[in-house]
Amino acid sequence: MADEAYREWLAGLDAESRRRQQAFLDALAAKLGRPRVTEPPPHPFRGAPDFWKEYELSPEERIERFIANFRASGGHAFRVSGLAEAARFIADKALELGVPAVIRQDEPVLAGLGLESLLPGVEVRVWNEDPAEDWIARAAGAGMGVVLADFAVAHTASIVTLSARGKGRSVSLLPPALAAVIPAGRLFTRLGEVLSRFDETGREGLPAGVHFISGPSRSADIENDLTIGVHGPGIVYALIVDA
Amino acid sequence: MSGSETAAKTVKERAKEALRNDFLRQAVRFTTDRLRNARLQAAGEQGNWEAWRERGRQIRSHTIAHLDYYLNRFAENARANGAHVHFAESAEEAVRIVLAIAERKGARMVAKSKSMVTEELHLNRALENIGVKPVETDLGEYIVQLAGETPSHLIIPSIHKNRRQTADLLSKEAGEELPTDTPALAAFVRRRMREVFLAADIGMTGCNFAIAETGSIVVFENEGNARMVSTLPKTQITLMGMERIIPTWADLEVMATLLPRSATGQRLTVYMSGISGPRRPGDGDGPEELHIVIVDNGRSLQLGDPEFQELLNCIRCGACLNVCPVYRHIGGHAYGGTYTGPIGAVLKPAFRKNVAEWDDVADASSLCGACAEACPVKIPLHDMLVALRRRKVEAGRAKRPEALAMRAYAAVMGSAGRLKGALRLGRLAVKPIARDGFIRARIGPLAGWTRHRVFPAPAAEPFRERWTGLRLELEREPAAMDPAVRRRLEEALRRRQAEKREGGDERHGG
Repeated sequence: MADEAYREWLAGLDAESRRRQQAFLDALAAKLGRPRVTEPPPHPFRGAPDFWKEYELSPEERIERFIANFRASGGHAFRVSGLAEAARFIADKALELGVPAVIRQDEPVLAGLGLESLLPGVEVRVWNEDPAEDWIARAAGAGMGVVLADFAVAHTASIVTLSARGKGRSVSLLPPALAAVIPAGRLFTRLGEVLSRFDETGREGLPAGVHFISGPSRSADIENDLTIGVHGPGIVYALIVDA
Repeated sequence: MSGSETAAKTVKERAKEALRNDFLRQAVRFTTDRLRNARLQAAGEQGNWEAWRERGRQIRSHTIAHLDYYLNRFAENARANGAHVHFAESAEEAVRIVLAIAERKGARMVAKSKSMVTEELHLNRALENIGVKPVETDLGEYIVQLAGETPSHLIIPSIHKNRRQTADLLSKEAGEELPTDTPALAAFVRRRMREVFLAADIGMTGCNFAIAETGSIVVFENEGNARMVSTLPKTQITLMGMERIIPTWADLEVMATLLPRSATGQRLTVYMSGISGPRRPGDGDGPEELHIVIVDNGRSLQLGDPEFQELLNCIRCGACLNVCPVYRHIGGHAYGGTYTGPIGAVLKPAFRKNVAEWDDVADASSLCGACAEACPVKIPLHDMLVALRRRKVEAGRAKRPEALAMRAYAAVMGSAGRLKGALRLGRLAVKPIARDGFIRARIGPLAGWTRHRVFPAPAAEPFRERWTGLRLELEREPAAMDPAVRRRLEEALRRRQAEKREGGDERHGG
């Protein structure tokens, strides 16, 4: 079958690449004027400068900073007292925007929002709940995506989502509006606090996609005129949930 | 007007063309001002900018010095993630690998997000030649592609296009007259590109950084099109300059602090995506197959070269373009290559072994050093430009009149008698054309200067001839200094010395 022929061809390409790799890297070492380095070299300058690693905001300050910076990037950020308030907020916005459908990640916390009962006239779908369906088309047809942030960063006002079977990348990308629920306990001060976790987890622990989202999609390519939502969501709600 | 076609003219000719284009000059100045001010503000807000720059330089220099180790590590980890990694020494090889994949896949359309490496390889043309349609999906890159041109700024590729031209290009594509307001034009592009993302057989991205320890590629962008092309098509091909490596995710914090702030003044780009291999089993989106093509194409020529190795530290932020007095006047296309501005003036010759192919792009600089001061990883670009000029002369490639002039200068300056004679001759020669102490005539070797400004005529009695009298004056006993003035001067001297001690080796201050 053609598929098998393709696999064979690909395996050949990979074998070829491994052969080339050695010559390629040997040539680099030769230009650097030394033998190949095969042991991890000492890396004394790893990560941010020391003074920055000591920088930490209090939980209250983090929330304030996130909200201020997220708004400055053109997003909408609010603090809500609990999941019930978050659910009402999201439902109100979905109705206000008149979206025909909402798509959410398959997360227990998001199931707990009860969007289905709050939005009786709106189709609420859960990413990848039925593998037979075309979920990319579902996400493209939805007016709003709802995600639970895995992490968030106050200094850069970033929402972080990690891809998984029930957490498609399309949910935070294809619908014109995005709502992210951020448990306050997942909000950190610095980017490095989240990034260094990926070093600790290591390669095996990483998902295919790690996405930092810091506001609505934007472009200034037409005469410096800022336009939002050119490809990704133009409306982004970040809801920081206490407790 | 592709890169190689514009290269048929000289830098000077292309610059002349650019200088005649008033819109271009105004647009470039306006945009570069905006980006430069945003950078300064963002750097100020972040604080300790010099410490961040220094850390950025340290991480980049360390990685480049151990590039064989980190590249190997990256390739092994990326493969363990399920990606297919390819090594390409030359542009031709990289193109061959990409075309082979596209052909095997029976691809008809490739959706591309911004990648300067693909510009460097002229990959779009190569794809078109085998009947595959490449579509640039970044708004600015799309405009430039529709116009059949190349990007003229690293960050704002369509800096040279005005609203009317943009609307005309997009209207032609839409098959109807579009309004010229930004929301309407952007809405058309959003609709059109959605079809492209969903229909494309291959998604193609560049790579801002590659993390050696986990085999991940990291892409910074604001529009979301790079996320689209790495989420929707079944096959993803990522083109990566071989120097894009950093060791760890912790190091990414430094790059993420420097790159967006230096490029546009943002705290972070809207999207920063770390991609580790193709979709995992059970995932509902993401590519089924991920290819990473690691490209040398002249980069390794810098390794082990003390004057140029730091060139590989570049993180492609464009800050040097925005502060360069030459770029700000002539824009990007005058450089005649993929990369423009001061970084382009160095990269273009440095990536070529053959001095004959260097063009005269390294001359397009006033050597003011603003580029080096703006660079977030402290690349001494102006020193490199001087080194390139020196190497060109050493290779016997200097222009003949320039070489002759330099030889004459050496002969005259080498002997006091000859200098005296030459000065006298010069005074006599310019006498008929000097008026009120200035020369305005556009003749002879002076024309290049006097076309735009006046040239001061030599003094009637030059310094050298006044020197005997001056020395007598100086040797007379100096008048006693007013004690108050003396105290003030001594106080100022003490202060300056104290400041110098405190300031340590901070060379750039602020």
